[in-house]
Amino acid sequence: MQDKNNSEYCDEKIFSNFFLKHSKLLHNFIYYKCGNTEMADDLVQDAFIKFWNNCNKVIPGKAKSFLYTIATNLFLNAYAKSKVSLNFKSTITKTSTNESPEFLLEEKEFGIKLQKALANLTEAQRTTFLMNRIDGKKYKEIAEILGISVKAVEKRIHNALVSLRKKIENI
Amino acid sequence: MLYNCMEQNYFLAKWLNGEITEKELLQHISEDELHSYKKIISATKSWEAPNFNTEEALEKLNSVRHKSKVKKLNFIKYSYRVAAMLAILFSSYYFISNKSTNYTTQLAEKISFELPDNSKVNLNADSQITFKPKKWNKKRELNLKGEAYFSVEKGSKFTVNTNLGSVSVLGTKFNVLARDTYFEVFCYEGLVSVNYNHKTIKVPAGSSYKILNSISEFSNNITATNPAWLQNNSSFTSVPYSYVIKEIERQYNIEITYNKKYGNTLFTGTFTHTNLNTALKAICIPLNLNFTIFSENKVSIEMQ
Repeated sequence: MQDKNNSEYCDEKIFSNFFLKHSKLLHNFIYYKCGNTEMADDLVQDAFIKFWNNCNKVIPGKAKSFLYTIATNLFLNAYAKSKVSLNFKSTITKTSTNESPEFLLEEKEFGIKLQKALANLTEAQRTTFLMNRIDGKKYKEIAEILGISVKAVEKRIHNALVSLRKKIENI
Repeated sequence: MLYNCMEQNYFLAKWLNGEITEKELLQHISEDELHSYKKIISATKSWEAPNFNTEEALEKLNSVRHKSKVKKLNFIKYSYRVAAMLAILFSSYYFISNKSTNYTTQLAEKISFELPDNSKVNLNADSQITFKPKKWNKKRELNLKGEAYFSVEKGSKFTVNTNLGSVSVLGTKFNVLARDTYFEVFCYEGLVSVNYNHKTIKVPAGSSYKILNSISEFSNNITATNPAWLQNNSSFTSVPYSYVIKEIERQYNIEITYNKKYGNTLFTGTFTHTNLNTALKAICIPLNLNFTIFSENKVSIEMQ
């Protein structure tokens, strides 16, 4: 029975669906870590290939965290030492045209400062913070993916905010 | 407060998650700090992660995944093996079909053999014939070094190639000699055509064509029906003495020392292949020379 469950992800169709469901967020996850879309593209591909090659080792219900663990390890092996520089596009610049130009400029400058500050966070803080802010993941979900407790997620988010505020004030 | 004492309170995370209100948060931080945090939160709210085309990525992944499958590689390896086997097969067939047969005589040795079409060949001493038996039916062609007598069966063109020229016939009996600069064709039956220096010379039965040091000579006074060497004689008509000495050296496997001034003297006569003493007499007496046999294979010829 367990064997049957274990090999579930070795089915082409299930694997494809699994990819369609999770690749985008895994891509974000890696991007938060390294700040490089090309690296993220490569690592997503490598991670899924590794997942496929080890599909019969997947524990039922743990497929997602298995995938994220693979991606994290690949990231640590390959890119942990490279410098991070993030670049997020803002979606609401067009919708807030009634704001004054000074305000817009100030907001843009603040955005740049914030991105610099983010790049200087620890990799763990940044990834956790952005998974919550951009991907809208709940603390519990992040904890499951990263294999840590909810408390640890809260700690990372809290420290990330404190660190960001201090860094922005210093810039 | 009790809560605060018991464990570390991550109030910012709780506030962000809507677990505590702004008012509760302000128990821990200042208004200014709250303003900063709100700014950070609202700035990040509008952010979006880089583009990622899921469908495209899946296609790419699948192509990589299938490329790395062992089956395809195996097929390539397999096709290489098949190609290698075919290459070996074809090249060995080509090699076998092009294989030459070789007949060689040593000094003082004569042999006779038959070609694939039953034509007969007599090969004189220190001579060599090579031909390709697999191609014989298509092309009757052979290479000759030295001297040989051919009795050719009727059929397609029969060609003898030598370093000095080639001889073609349809069916006849003839003798070819090609040594150093001496090229001689004797025709005993039928008609032989000789190719020498891009010229073609017809040699009818009972005639001979001789080229010595690029000077050609035609004669038609042969009465023999086959070359003398088949009867264990060597016969010469106006041949330089040096060639006569070489021929006797070949037939008896001996070395002869002689005065080189006789080298160009023309010699007409015959010597036997069966008795060295008689043969030496035959070539010495006409020129008033003496010979001495030192050992089994050393002979000296001097003036009387």
